[in-house]
Amino acid sequence: MTKTYHLLTGLHFALCTLAMIWPGALIANRIEPTVLGLPFLFFWYILWMLVLFAGMWVAFVVRHGGGRHD
Amino acid sequence: MTDSLIVVGITLTYLLGVLWVGLRARGQENSSLEGYVAGGRHVGVVILFFILGAEIFSAFAFLGAPGWAYQHGAPAFYILAYLSLVPITIWAMGPRVASLGRQKGYLTQGDMIADHYQSRSLGILAGVIGVLALVPYLTIQIAGAGLLFQAATDGLIPFWLGALLAFVVVAAYVFTSGLNGIGWTNLIQGIMMIAIAWFLGLSISERLYGGVGEMFSQIQLTMPESLTMPGATGMNWGYFSTAVLVSAFGGAMWPHLFMKFYSADSGRTLRKVSVFYPLYAYLLVPLLFIGFAGILVFADEPLVRSDTVLLRMVMDVANFSPWVIGLMLSGALAAAMSTGANLAHTAAIVLVRDVMSPTVMKGASEQSVVKATRWSVLGLSLIAYLFALANPASLVLLLLGAYGLIVQLFPMVLGALFLPQLRRASVMAGALVGSLAYLLMDFVWSSPLGWHAGVWAMLLNVAVVGAWQLLGRTSRDGQALAGKSV
Repeated sequence: MTKTYHLLTGLHFALCTLAMIWPGALIANRIEPTVLGLPFLFFWYILWMLVLFAGMWVAFVVRHGGGRHD
Repeated sequence: MTDSLIVVGITLTYLLGVLWVGLRARGQENSSLEGYVAGGRHVGVVILFFILGAEIFSAFAFLGAPGWAYQHGAPAFYILAYLSLVPITIWAMGPRVASLGRQKGYLTQGDMIADHYQSRSLGILAGVIGVLALVPYLTIQIAGAGLLFQAATDGLIPFWLGALLAFVVVAAYVFTSGLNGIGWTNLIQGIMMIAIAWFLGLSISERLYGGVGEMFSQIQLTMPESLTMPGATGMNWGYFSTAVLVSAFGGAMWPHLFMKFYSADSGRTLRKVSVFYPLYAYLLVPLLFIGFAGILVFADEPLVRSDTVLLRMVMDVANFSPWVIGLMLSGALAAAMSTGANLAHTAAIVLVRDVMSPTVMKGASEQSVVKATRWSVLGLSLIAYLFALANPASLVLLLLGAYGLIVQLFPMVLGALFLPQLRRASVMAGALVGSLAYLLMDFVWSSPLGWHAGVWAMLLNVAVVGAWQLLGRTSRDGQALAGKSV
């Protein structure tokens, strides 16, 4: 795999981690607006769980799509 | 009394079902060590997903997560954060562990450490620490099962009997079917947990408040501080963040997680499991609803123990039929049993493979090693059961202490996987300093800035490893790579 690939996956992981702890979660530390009935901070965590999943899915397809095993 | 009988009936049916699946999962290769321990190294995506999920979702997650939401409020999102971050470690480390294991025949953490650093005693040490951490952890699952049974049946099934019932089932299928039994039962129990958690979470907020959104608006009116950090109890960001990091990235050092990497049929499978892993964390979302629902319900008379909030809500507040209570008990037992099965299995393997094989069982045949492992499953489960009956207060301390030590193996394991230039002396010095610092901060002093002690200990650990590497390089002048034996 290329350097760019590793850099991008690494960045994705770092971004998702930082979004869920200090300082990333600071910007979401409020109740309004509520989304899907959830306070914003609660929604924020649900959202980033999904972002983490989506990014890993892309990384997986790029690296292992079509049954590649490297 | 009839209500309790219905609860007991449903739960016993569930236990029998799990036992049947577990016993039937017995594969043909169970007589080989690799088959019994690692499912012959060809466990596929679905089963591995549920095994790795079940290991994290213990009785503690099922009862503790709503407990945190009830007691602290927003800091309970810590659990969502760390669970969804666990797969990063699986992604980065798992495939390498799996391929090394396949090449060199490793089955435990100790195998890899002992071989890479050419030190049998290091492997034995890792094994001893592993058993010391796993047995109290297993005890907690068994005690959890006993408490659940007793509470949900209004004492019809007492603590000792409930704990015994649940863990006789577990010990029986782990004894017979090894990892295959664990895999198939974890699949059933995982689905059970998810279904029950969502059902309970949604119906409790519906019954009490008329919906999730309505529930949060009411909490916002009366106790808004629960819904944002630092929560109702004022947990600071430093502790929150460092606890997430230690749990998410140190968690993979637990032997029962780490050893599952060996069982994957390929690195690709492990990566696929990690892609889907954050979705498993959604299981906890409805459990958090239940905890939040408890905030207003118990506002006037706070619960003495916050981790009883799920039981109290289901049994006393929401007015469910005994059928639902029976299902709730089954789901909560599923959480305790699916984790417990992995713990008993792993503790037995680590004991026999890392501790006994290089010492008292030198040169034993594969067959006798498998046999010893099986009997150790029963022996260690029995010990854990007796511990649960005695309920020594020092148990949690032992668990915390041993877990702190396990996390400090991180640089050592990273060295064996990716950094061949790290020498034995450096990683040992790092682990020693890190462990000592962790124990001191956890039990004697308090941790600086209120951070999780594991982070400070890890920083020290890494600093010592780095310093030792530099010192060794200047003194031995270029012999740095000699420590790596190929």
